[in-house]
Amino acid sequence: MVAFKKRVSRGVEFAALTFPALLAIVVVVLVPFGMSIVYSFSKWNGLDKVPVFNGLANYVELFTNDPALLAALGFTLLFTLALVVLVNLIALALALALDQPLRGKNALRAAFYVPNIISLIIIGYVWRFIFSKGFDTFSAMTGWPLFQASWLGDPALAFVSTVLVSLWHDLGFYLVIYLAGLQTIPRDLIEASLIDGAAPLQRFSKIVLPLLMPSVTVCVFYALSNGLKTFDVILSLTNGGPGNATTSIALDIYTTAFGQGRFGYGMAMSVLLFLLILGITLFQVTVFKNREVES
Amino acid sequence: MTKPRGRIWLNVVLVLLAALYLYPLFIVLINSVKTFQQIMDNAVALPATPEFDNFILAFTTMAYPRLFLNTLIATTLGTVGVVLLASVAGHKLSRTKTRLSWLVFLVCVAPMMIPFHSYMIGLVKVAKTLHLTNSVWGLGVLYWGLGIPLALFMYHGFVKTIPIELDESAVIDGCGPLRKFFLVVFPLLQPVSVSVIVLNAMWMWNDFLLPLLVVSGNKQALTLQLAAYNFFGQYKVEWHLAMAAVLLTILPAIVFYLALQKHIMKGMTAGAVKS
Repeated sequence: MVAFKKRVSRGVEFAALTFPALLAIVVVVLVPFGMSIVYSFSKWNGLDKVPVFNGLANYVELFTNDPALLAALGFTLLFTLALVVLVNLIALALALALDQPLRGKNALRAAFYVPNIISLIIIGYVWRFIFSKGFDTFSAMTGWPLFQASWLGDPALAFVSTVLVSLWHDLGFYLVIYLAGLQTIPRDLIEASLIDGAAPLQRFSKIVLPLLMPSVTVCVFYALSNGLKTFDVILSLTNGGPGNATTSIALDIYTTAFGQGRFGYGMAMSVLLFLLILGITLFQVTVFKNREVES
Repeated sequence: MTKPRGRIWLNVVLVLLAALYLYPLFIVLINSVKTFQQIMDNAVALPATPEFDNFILAFTTMAYPRLFLNTLIATTLGTVGVVLLASVAGHKLSRTKTRLSWLVFLVCVAPMMIPFHSYMIGLVKVAKTLHLTNSVWGLGVLYWGLGIPLALFMYHGFVKTIPIELDESAVIDGCGPLRKFFLVVFPLLQPVSVSVIVLNAMWMWNDFLLPLLVVSGNKQALTLQLAAYNFFGQYKVEWHLAMAAVLLTILPAIVFYLALQKHIMKGMTAGAVKS
């Protein structure tokens, strides 16, 4: 009887301590996500009490009759690819440089990190100003075609702009992770390679990079999922334009649901985004994990 | 590992790069103290005499104090809730070695794999049903569900590194589990708590999409980021005021960053590497 009472009280304690957190997650994430899946098979304008289920109609339209989504998918994948490659290469190179014994090292690190503490929505507006008024002035001063180009008005250049601005904002975050990763590489391994007379490039490819792979895995993962989800900076910098040249999937979901009131269809798009991100990141982590080594 | 002379060059190049990197923000700074006409004439020249009227005008037209307070309420309520709920649950789940406990843990951390944009439509509907929309308090509460998964994951992992004897060393007579937790265990979790606070506060302060979805209908409940969005969304942007507004909006985050730089760097890394 005593043992039973103790078990009950332990169960009550477990429930009382874990339930609030579980409830918050279920209400805010899991129920809404469940709705996304269920209502993605329906036609729903968000106002009707009951959605009209229409089977696979949304998904059929998604894949066969929605050129705008196809364009958004293409933009998002290309944008993500460019961002993943550039942000990782530059952050890694910069981390290697800042890992050297330099003067004002901490100030330098802080300088590259500053854009990262500003919200992406503000970042987009700041650059909209630079690309318009700032470049007008630069162009008048120098006459360089670089500043005369329409960085937000030309589809190809607008793509480049969204990548560069995102890169400018994100770089500091990846820099910090790579710097932390470099700290974990044992100094004696570096010293041993120095004694053995390894060339700098050899030392990097044979010792530093393999030991840094855990950081690379994390950084590529983050760059992938952030790139595929990109929204804020697009909204404030180009608003998806010119035309829909820089409309990302997330922005397309937003305008489809809240702009056009097609909630059921927007939910089908959001399920597609979920599967896309899950598939790509799972594949990436599996491939990259296999390349990690123990020091 | 470069030779001394090479290192000096590297140093110089990096300083120049950093200056170039921050130049766009410098442009914002100088234009925030110019008149509209001066910006139109030359957007990169220094102002002859700085005009601080822009700040006063932006401050009042934005209703800055209200926005600041709203953002502070949502961020604080959200962050405190995440820390309290995730630490209590994460600790309990980590210490309870049953199949149910493992299952609850999985359900709690699974949302880390679900992008926000995949459930935001349903979330708006749920928030409306629960009357959590158009209020900064409701916004703060919604952040709990978004922030807990990663925080709980971090607490759950950290608790494993604390010897269980420390938990049990101080079972004071008549002291309930919650009091025991906050008296004995919570102080031990401080390193994770700092990371969780930093990660969540920075994210909630700068977050845009959730406020856009749930509070933009109420002028009294706008956050700083939403106000900036409205400010720039106007047909003809008054750049001199907009630049002052940008600085007023990012200033709190910059101060927070400068004050807690070390913790922020550590927190960012911990949150990133753990997930």
